[in-house]
Amino acid sequence: MSEQNDPRVVVVTGGSRGLGAGIVREFLDDGSRVATCSRSATPAVEEWASEAPDRFLFVPADLADADDAKRFVDAVIERWGRIDVLVNNAGVARDGILGMMSDEDLDTVIDLNLKGTLYVTRLVSRRMLARRSGAIVNISSIVGISGYRGLTVYSATKAALDGLTRALARELGSRGITVNSIAPGYLRTEMSHGLDEDQLQQIVRRTPAGRLGEPADIARVVQFLVDPRNSYLTGQVIVVDGGLTS
Amino acid sequence: MASPRIAAENVIREFLGRIKKDPASPLDAPLYADGVGLDSLETAELSALLEDEFGSDPFSSADELPQTLAEVLDHYGAAVEAEAV
Repeated sequence: MSEQNDPRVVVVTGGSRGLGAGIVREFLDDGSRVATCSRSATPAVEEWASEAPDRFLFVPADLADADDAKRFVDAVIERWGRIDVLVNNAGVARDGILGMMSDEDLDTVIDLNLKGTLYVTRLVSRRMLARRSGAIVNISSIVGISGYRGLTVYSATKAALDGLTRALARELGSRGITVNSIAPGYLRTEMSHGLDEDQLQQIVRRTPAGRLGEPADIARVVQFLVDPRNSYLTGQVIVVDGGLTS
Repeated sequence: MASPRIAAENVIREFLGRIKKDPASPLDAPLYADGVGLDSLETAELSALLEDEFGSDPFSSADELPQTLAEVLDHYGAAVEAEAV
């Protein structure tokens, strides 16, 4: 089988649970080879490893550590020789008023959400440059656009990802590599657990779609952005929030 | 089989031809400006291409960035000598 007919190689960071798991699931369902990482395995990861051992790779890694990021990317290259799609999904939230936030919490959010994303993207974009093709999707958030009380640091990192998207799209566009962001609204996943039930109900009331988002809502947009037929779409932030910020 | 240095030179000259630079540039030509004329993105592309082909490249792993084609190739020549020791 020629490389052109091989299943594409997709890297999804932080794919062991929540939104990342939904994105991994969607790519496995379409026949892609999928690599993901997180600090530890979950039942979902173990299920995929037994369900699709030839098409699934999990590497325990803390992407806030540059060496771990390199170990992860090297493992993907060793296994499949290339990377066609990168979805930067790994992220962490620490809620609290900025004036009360510890140095440790501030570092945790910035180190994973921003520096971790840059570490992985630096390594993967080199591989894509060498082949002059690829698609990168950064999972940011509507709080990076509209802000949210108590999520100042998280919002700052997500806004930074949108800046990364625009700059990198300009940098790599001439080499056939697209870079886009998806800014999800509030999802029914672990990341929303920092919000209490009243807050979630308030969000639902204000959302034209009348519900919280599901990982599959976002995963389908990821699929659209990395479709080679959509190579004219780059440097954009696609808001997927049920109309909340419209 | 070609030595890593010769293989690297072949990869570089093919790359230069593909990006519309002079594939016959002399080895002592500076990589940038009035020499070979690589810009920053083309340099990154060459660095990535060499790493992809040979597992390492002088732009990422050397103490000082190479300034000429010969200095790029020295990275692969030196690797051969080290292996022979």
